[in-house]
Amino acid sequence: MVKKKQNPYHINYKEGIVENCLLQIRNTGCCDDPRVKNVWTVDIRARDSQQFIEFIRLNIQSNDPVSFQHIKRIKKGEESGVLTVIVCSKLLIEEQDDFLLLMKDAPFEYYNANDHSAVPTAAPSTKELSLKWSALYWPLVWRGNPNDQIMNDYVFDMAFIRNTLTTLSKVSLDQAEKNASDPPVVSAFVSPNGRRVIYSTDSRCSTSPLDHSIMQGIRSVAASEHERQAKNCDQAEETYLCLNFDVYTTHEPCSMCSMALIHSRIKRCIFLQPMRNTGALESQSGDKYCMHNNHALNSKYEVFRWLGSEYPVPEVNSDICC
Amino acid sequence: MDLEHHLRYMRMATKLAKYALDHDETPVACIFVHTPTDQVVAYGMNDTNRSLTGIAHAEFMGIAQIQAKFGPLNTEIFRNITLYVTVEPCIMCASALKQLGIQKVVFGCGNERFGGNGSILRIHQDSSTAPENSHISVPGLLRKEAIMLLRYFYVRENERSPKPRAKANRKLDLETFPPMDWSIYLSKDGFTSLFGESLLEYYDKKLDLSEKLDWDLIDKNQDLFFQDLQNKCEQFSLQAAKKPKSQPVS
Repeated sequence: MVKKKQNPYHINYKEGIVENCLLQIRNTGCCDDPRVKNVWTVDIRARDSQQFIEFIRLNIQSNDPVSFQHIKRIKKGEESGVLTVIVCSKLLIEEQDDFLLLMKDAPFEYYNANDHSAVPTAAPSTKELSLKWSALYWPLVWRGNPNDQIMNDYVFDMAFIRNTLTTLSKVSLDQAEKNASDPPVVSAFVSPNGRRVIYSTDSRCSTSPLDHSIMQGIRSVAASEHERQAKNCDQAEETYLCLNFDVYTTHEPCSMCSMALIHSRIKRCIFLQPMRNTGALESQSGDKYCMHNNHALNSKYEVFRWLGSEYPVPEVNSDICC
Repeated sequence: MDLEHHLRYMRMATKLAKYALDHDETPVACIFVHTPTDQVVAYGMNDTNRSLTGIAHAEFMGIAQIQAKFGPLNTEIFRNITLYVTVEPCIMCASALKQLGIQKVVFGCGNERFGGNGSILRIHQDSSTAPENSHISVPGLLRKEAIMLLRYFYVRENERSPKPRAKANRKLDLETFPPMDWSIYLSKDGFTSLFGESLLEYYDKKLDLSEKLDWDLIDKNQDLFFQDLQNKCEQFSLQAAKKPKSQPVS
């Protein structure tokens, strides 16, 4: 994590643009939804707060699916000398029996265990909203727009990205010229260490209507791993699904392909051309699914669209699912 | 809608899911039925372990079988195909089925993490995925059996895990089931048009159509059933090959 000022990239935080060419794609529709979830709370004596913090650190923090970074775990209780504290989310522990079992090991006395409090699981994007939610639900910590930190933590190899997009554009234009039937949609799968790049093309008119370039790429990555296992070589190149792969693609993926990328556990997707009717990533595309950033789906990946016209791609009929 | 007719095929899908569980795969399985001839044409089980991909779901395995029989580019055939699957198709599969133009999808329990026929998204009726197609989606048939098979699986996985989870999944619950919330999938009118007015009580009270769980389906060994199923699918391809003129393959 670097400080904003020391970040080597030029980042426009307001617009979500990196180096004037990569636009961060995210779900703009739900930013101000607190996504309130119930939590288990107990009352403790103020002097036990150190033990409580230690107990949470050892037993809870790494297991809880809800992050409490933007929430104050401890708030003043109704009586003086008493604190009301959040132990964990109800997503981690559903049943009271299980919760009490966990609390058996607590090295402090507690009272009034209950699951009545609801807290925002989303961090607010503005200070005003933070104050509003603090008053409405539970005291929050304001550390700036959480998306600024997300933008700040991204890592880019701009030369590599430009190289890959150059090839992607070239292959796509070639495809359009020599293959009249299959749409010229092309993808590139880059292994986590960046050493292997697998290109894949759309073959819906020659092999199967479902053989979009991303589906083909996922299978090529698996084929390459099968081959490596058969030769029993190069342990350092072992892959699991497409875990932490970066995927480059010419056209914004459809609902099938964008979900296939979740199943494949990729890290990042960069595309060139938005598909306003059939795309499943941008807030303005199709049914506004924002598949990679949809809070009903707890898996996610980073998505960027390349701005600018250095890497032209052939036009594809707007009703085609890419 | 002939409920008993659909249940007959859902029982087959459920038996196949049990077969998958006994052979170390996720207990999710499906049966594809050619509606006009009322015959099983293909089946699918998850193949993610062997294939090393996250996309080899049961539906894709069955689709590949159909494509092998009728030609990989033939989408016409899917207009006459009903899918019976123990768990609601995920978003990827729902999208694939819609792009192929499948006629109908019947499923057991909902897919709370990734469901594409109502639980998370409603791909089957959306306007961004091959909007010229849409399919009828029938939820909740043999739902308890599907849930119980998944519970068997998770308990076993947890026992095998080097770091067993201390919570929910540790004990096998054979008794209780979450309410069947039909309204996630169907409007009241939609439910009535599928199941008839006489069953509306089940919709309102969030009940399963059958109170009892058919333990035989999920506890018996299904190896013989699987052999029989394979034979059925093979026979279908023989019949189809005999009369290519009456059933043109475009």
